[in-house]
Amino acid sequence: MTGFYLRWAGVIVIVGILALLTSQHYEKHLSSVSPDMVVTGNDSKTTLRVQGMVKSGSLTGNPEDGHAAFELLGASNSLKVQYEGPPPENLRELKTLILIGQWDAENKLFQARETALVTNYGYVASAYIVALLALIAFVFSMSRNVTFLYQEIKESKIYEPELGP
Amino acid sequence: MMNRFIRRIQRFKGWIGAAAALCIFYGLYLGLLDSPPDYYQGEVVRIMYVHVPLAHTALLAYGTLFVGSLWYLWKRDVLVDNMCHAAAGITAAFTILALITGAIWAKPTWNTWWTWDPKLVSFAVLLLIASGYLMLRTFVEDPDKEGRYAAVMAIVGGIDLPIIYFSAEWWRTLHQPLSISMRGVSMSGDILLPLAIMSLGLNLLFIYMLMIRTQMLYLTNLLEAKKGRLLSHAHLSHTSS
Amino acid sequence: MPFFRVIQWVVWKDLISELRSRETLSSMLFFALIVILVFSFSFAMDQDAAQQLIAGIIWVSFVFTGIIGLGKSFSAELQNDAIEYLQMSPAPKGAIYLGKMIGNLLFMLVVEIMLFPLFVLFFNLDIVEEIGLLLLIFFLATLGLSAVGTLFSALTVQIRAREVMLPVLLLPLAVPVMIAAVEATRGALEGQPLVIYSQWIELLTIFDIIFTVVSFWLFDLILDS
Repeated sequence: MTGFYLRWAGVIVIVGILALLTSQHYEKHLSSVSPDMVVTGNDSKTTLRVQGMVKSGSLTGNPEDGHAAFELLGASNSLKVQYEGPPPENLRELKTLILIGQWDAENKLFQARETALVTNYGYVASAYIVALLALIAFVFSMSRNVTFLYQEIKESKIYEPELGP
Repeated sequence: MMNRFIRRIQRFKGWIGAAAALCIFYGLYLGLLDSPPDYYQGEVVRIMYVHVPLAHTALLAYGTLFVGSLWYLWKRDVLVDNMCHAAAGITAAFTILALITGAIWAKPTWNTWWTWDPKLVSFAVLLLIASGYLMLRTFVEDPDKEGRYAAVMAIVGGIDLPIIYFSAEWWRTLHQPLSISMRGVSMSGDILLPLAIMSLGLNLLFIYMLMIRTQMLYLTNLLEAKKGRLLSHAHLSHTSS
Repeated sequence: MPFFRVIQWVVWKDLISELRSRETLSSMLFFALIVILVFSFSFAMDQDAAQQLIAGIIWVSFVFTGIIGLGKSFSAELQNDAIEYLQMSPAPKGAIYLGKMIGNLLFMLVVEIMLFPLFVLFFNLDIVEEIGLLLLIFFLATLGLSAVGTLFSALTVQIRAREVMLPVLLLPLAVPVMIAAVEATRGALEGQPLVIYSQWIELLTIFDIIFTVVSFWLFDLILDS
């Protein structure tokens, strides 16, 4: 029995480590900041993901060709954005979206190269957690049952050949 | 007394389980980290990599139940009957999970937890059929009758499933044509590879689960039969002395 | 024993015992009346709503009364252990199945034909032109229901909790019959051209053929001691 539980503990530890690594990966690559944080910062090297709403009436240029300028609203500040990149389908006024690009601290301008949808990690995470946990629990309970049954059969000496009538 | 078949199963079980775990972990890596987000659905599309393989595996499990039932009616092998029983339980589990992940996926994409889509209707009915099968098995006393009746139920259900799907599809197109489509989910290589790996992993996992569950049911029956026989034996020797 | 003779005998036996006791038909009829009343109270329908829902209401009441009849079909054989004689009889089991199925079909059709005028009366339906087609739809859908239902009636009568298990096993399998019957009936009642709903009649026919054959083949395994 100890071996059995040790093996399953190993499985759980591996799953936990992988879950941790995955969530860290998402934190690192896919977490977004608000426009307020970008405006106050001076960092112009790193690629940022900024989530905000396109300010009503501020959109100029041709989003269909991939050139546009607009303001992105945060909680208190707004951010001037210059977009140059592939034609974004999601870019329209009053739309909340994520922009990927660099902050130009001298010109107070955010240079975006890409857009992305606002992500709903809750749905993805809950779907995977429900599915994986349920499967693991199902397999675990079955395996434990089998182990118990083997033990019981061994202890009750049921292997012995049947007696004649 | 132990069936040879079970011993043969024992030998490969660990390898299949390990292969399933490897495939699932690789599939999770591909689905969660490596594949790009969808243009329209964004990150939510990643639910597909667990939902669709779950649904496929549920169908594979019911297929196993169907073929196993035919095989049982032909050969009347108790172990095959146990395998059918095991496959039915696993079908129910995978179907529930497919429905739950489907609902979680439907909420952000279609803005509703449930819709009367033909696939959803068929899976709900599949769940009802599988649970009806499991209920039926608990209500029959005679083990021989249990196997036969359950096999009949599984075969009728298996023949009915495609008809259910088609009738639900016609019904759907009649009442709400084309309200739901897989808009923007193009079946490119980025999507197909994680889907295939996850499907393979879950199919292997199904085989692994089928082995364990068959073993579990077989041992339960064996233990019960032996205990009953020991009891009746004790009873006999007691009354004769 | 000749095959068709057995069918005839089984049908005759069921009809005779029904004529003497009138148990099945009367319970089905009263149950159906109650279902209709419950529906009309719980929806408080005006004319338009009735037109929308009537096909569904008709079939829900038909299917539930059908289940009562199907359950009775074999549980009546439990008295005096008559079912064991059926199991042991040298007659081909398929013929017993067909006889029972025809008997159930007749009972259900009789109840449906008696109920339908009530629907027409209560819900002011206009059916004069399509009456032949409606009868065809009723016949096909009821045949499908009794083809699967007779098999499961014989199955559930030999297990515990039989009153619960018959609908639990039968209703999910009858989903295509329900959908097709409701859609075809709606089409006929609304006076749509036949082309629009003929696919449902085809579906019912296919279902009937498949499940009569499958149940006929599987019945051996159910009625086996």
